[in-house]
Amino acid sequence: MARRSKRRGRRNNASHMNTYLIGGIVVAAVVIAGAVALKPAPEEQVAATHRHFSIADYRQDASRLTGNVYRLEGRVENIESLGNDRLVAVSLEDNPLERLPLLVRSGASGRINLTRGDVFIFEVECCTGHTAEQKEVKGVLMVRRVETK
Amino acid sequence: MPLLSVLLTAQPGLAQEKAPTPAPAPAPTPAPAATNAGPQAPAKSTRAENEPKAPELFGVEIPLLDPASDTLSYNGGLFDVGNNAVVRARFEKYLQQNPDESKEARAYRAKMEELLDITQRNARSSSPVGGANMVLIGRGLYEMDSYPPDGGQAGALASAMVSALQVQFANQKRDRENDKLQREINQLVTDTNRLVNYNTGRGGRMPSASGRGNSKNTGSKSSGQVSGGNVRNVHSVRISHNTKTIAGKEATQMKNDAESSTALALAKVNYQSMLAALLLSRRYDHALIGANSYRHIFRDGDTALKLDKESKAAQLFNNATGMPPTVGSIATAASTARREVDQHMEAVANLLKANKLSDATQHLIEAVAVGEYMISVSSFPAESRRRIAEYWGLRRRVLTSLNARDYGTTEEIARKMKSLDADFDDAMIMSYCAARKQQSDLAVRNALKALQAGNEEEFTRQITEAGAIWPRNPRLEEGRAHLQKFDSYDPVKEEFRTLVSRKEFRTIFNEQSRFEVVAVDPELKEQYRDIITLISTIDGLLNQLEVAAQQDRVMGPCMAYEMLLEKREADERYASDPLFSEALNRYALAAHDFVDALNLATDCEKRDELGSALANYYRAQCIYPGSRLAREGVERLTRVILEAEF
Repeated sequence: MARRSKRRGRRNNASHMNTYLIGGIVVAAVVIAGAVALKPAPEEQVAATHRHFSIADYRQDASRLTGNVYRLEGRVENIESLGNDRLVAVSLEDNPLERLPLLVRSGASGRINLTRGDVFIFEVECCTGHTAEQKEVKGVLMVRRVETK
Repeated sequence: MPLLSVLLTAQPGLAQEKAPTPAPAPAPTPAPAATNAGPQAPAKSTRAENEPKAPELFGVEIPLLDPASDTLSYNGGLFDVGNNAVVRARFEKYLQQNPDESKEARAYRAKMEELLDITQRNARSSSPVGGANMVLIGRGLYEMDSYPPDGGQAGALASAMVSALQVQFANQKRDRENDKLQREINQLVTDTNRLVNYNTGRGGRMPSASGRGNSKNTGSKSSGQVSGGNVRNVHSVRISHNTKTIAGKEATQMKNDAESSTALALAKVNYQSMLAALLLSRRYDHALIGANSYRHIFRDGDTALKLDKESKAAQLFNNATGMPPTVGSIATAASTARREVDQHMEAVANLLKANKLSDATQHLIEAVAVGEYMISVSSFPAESRRRIAEYWGLRRRVLTSLNARDYGTTEEIARKMKSLDADFDDAMIMSYCAARKQQSDLAVRNALKALQAGNEEEFTRQITEAGAIWPRNPRLEEGRAHLQKFDSYDPVKEEFRTLVSRKEFRTIFNEQSRFEVVAVDPELKEQYRDIITLISTIDGLLNQLEVAAQQDRVMGPCMAYEMLLEKREADERYASDPLFSEALNRYALAAHDFVDALNLATDCEKRDELGSALANYYRAQCIYPGSRLAREGVERLTRVILEAEF
């Protein structure tokens, strides 16, 4: 009876170990799978940023977006120049009846030979500046980088 | 034919007219005179002093007709045949009469035709005086005398004929007596010659006591024979007696001749006077019967009218025919007049068939004026008379209304006359009326302008002139109404000021007829004009925008909203007009996306959210590309952002 009890006790300990091991492996696999599943690709990251930019919100109160960086795909509708700086009116893909003003400074990287009617990808940051009279100029989307589509 | 004209228009009635109605010129022309002188214009126009005097017949001036102007010259005046009171009255009386178709009338006309026929034939015959035809004519005339409308003319002619014939008969009796006396004279001369021959011894036998001399001579001779042994001297007394007897008989002959000549001349004058009177009283049928019978009554071949060569009547006939005046002249004139009248009546009938009432009336006037008593005129049908009477009445009313300067009525009647007679020439009447009405309207307009300028004196002058030109001008009432407003403008002025202070311009505009009197006040004049101009401009603008908004339901309201917004910014009075504000709200609602974008852009710009503001201006520009506000906002912010430091 006693031996039978010992054997039975050893068999029970080994069973618990396996259970824990399997459970651990499963948990680890699930964690890895989840992490892999949740890790975005670089293209998917640009698309997600673009979706989150709301031109309606921008028209209401752009200064709330100050510091945010967005990648926007848009068609150049109009260009106003002052020296090497340009203010570009861009129509977004999903809202062709709207125009978004983008300030392209001379130091913006990427392809900067903007032409009217062509579609580009703009990496922009919402900035606040000031005039010569120190009057604030809020919520201006300044282009950091321009890429062709 | 001057003589014809003279005789055709010779009317005894006219001679009795002491103050004849003037002869206005043809229809439209009298009005200027009437305007200046009124209805009581001078009664007649007189001839110039150096003009030749009118001809006279038997001491009575003969009216002369000028066919070119339908005017009659008489007693120094000119008369319109169609408008003279006497002629008019006679013509109207004629138009209102029914043709006499009684048995007596028909018998009278038949007898007249018969006598005319007899006298025409008789004129070529050589039947003796008092022949059967003359008896027939005389009896016929006396029968016609019983017909009242003849006016006793036939009886008078018959009496003249009888008188002339009686004179002729008396002359014949005297002729016979003279013949007898001549035979006696011849006997006495023969007897006396024998006695003289005897006494002188030249031979011859002593006449016996029962000689062929008369009984008295015989007695004388016997006494001579007995008393004287000297035969040669015994017949001297008888000779002397015979001589005296011859002289007495010759004197009687001469007396008879003189009486005959005098009676004949007097009879001719009387008869010719009757013929002339018949002619002048337009009894041409009677005159023709009398003239054709003349040479059968006076068979001496002398048909010359017994007129003094220096008399006007003689000159008249001489001038008319170039020949010495004769009874034939009267017959010719009567025949011609009859023919003229018949032609007129034929023309009247034809013109009536063609509905040419104007010309038909003119012909009938002339026919009645010339030959009122002729059969063709007196038997003119009643229905035709009614038609012409209606037209004639309109013509009279035209003249009356024209004289009264009632140009509206004149035009109305002229149009009615035109509808009755398409050939009626109403151009002159209508032109004249239109010109006078325009003059009056212009004066009313000037009066109202003067009133608006506060010039009451000029207003009174102009309104008086307008009334004088066209007394029944309906616009005169307008002037009176304005005058009443002018008199009561002070309360209106106060009300106007109150409304202006409340900026209730639309109320002033809606009641501008009541408030326009404030324009007499130089202080309020400009204000009133500005308000009227402002509201008129607003109304015009709103109408235009409404059309545009209907045409383009997307951009139209945007354009309308922006334009109204600009107007409101340019002139704050626009905002006070309720219609303007209502329109602005309506278009703002219709273009709410555009309006929201602009409003948000403005709001963001105020908060220095220039990125947002520019995006909103872009949005507004996308909705309405022609937006001036959006374009200016984009330009302004673009410049600021480009120049800003970041």
